[in-house]
Amino acid sequence: MTPGLVVVLFVAAALVAVGVFIAAWRRDVTSALAGVPLMFGGAGVAFAGVSRFAAAGGAPLLGQAIAALLAIAALALVALGVGIAGREASR
Amino acid sequence: MDSLHAIGFYVSAAISIGSGLAVAFLPGRGSRGAALAVAGLGIAGLYGSLSGDLAALVVLVCYAGCALLLARPQYRALDSGAATWWRQAGAVGAGGVLVLLAYSAWRGDFVYATFRGGEIGAAAVGRTLFAHDALATEAVGALVVAALVGATAAWRVRERSR
Repeated sequence: MTPGLVVVLFVAAALVAVGVFIAAWRRDVTSALAGVPLMFGGAGVAFAGVSRFAAAGGAPLLGQAIAALLAIAALALVALGVGIAGREASR
Repeated sequence: MDSLHAIGFYVSAAISIGSGLAVAFLPGRGSRGAALAVAGLGIAGLYGSLSGDLAALVVLVCYAGCALLLARPQYRALDSGAATWWRQAGAVGAGGVLVLLAYSAWRGDFVYATFRGGEIGAAAVGRTLFAHDALATEAVGALVVAALVGATAAWRVRERSR
């Protein structure tokens, strides 16, 4: 079955749900931060899928650019969270 | 999308979702970091299947950084203090998020268009970087050069002081 936009959005929804699940399930805040990249990755997959299948005219790279931006934002958030957790734990 | 890209898409989806669940359940920080890196590999594969190879490269680097941050020896655990039933309610809520998003994707009415970016999208990336956003690309290049020069100078000063 060739994947279309609906299949891409299903996968994106599953990634977002797995990220939410990690953030809710882990007792440790630092390890719960691992859910952030997966949530952002799911959003990025949805953007890239819309850019691939449903961008009528205009720049086809807009969704992919937003996906790359989300990945960088996820890295920044994890770094910030790990840094704050390290400071709080050392007190 | 040809059959090879379709197979790559489904394999990448299985890898990313399976590794994400492994991040939730694996006990050690090293194994969780490795699982997050594998999940990043799967997400990069998804982008590659969707003709977004540049985004896939960025995702690979960023998720490797996230995995290193979460698996490094200076990792400090910090208890959230939330009660167990709150965490279980959050896990059930994650299932609700999945059902809601999947239903909206299933019932949605989308516009479909022909993609003209090619399988890799190199031509579109080149046009964006060197024609549409040429000034921004040059600014980023100058920033990277300045950062590399600064890092080299700092490294040399540090080596001399030893």
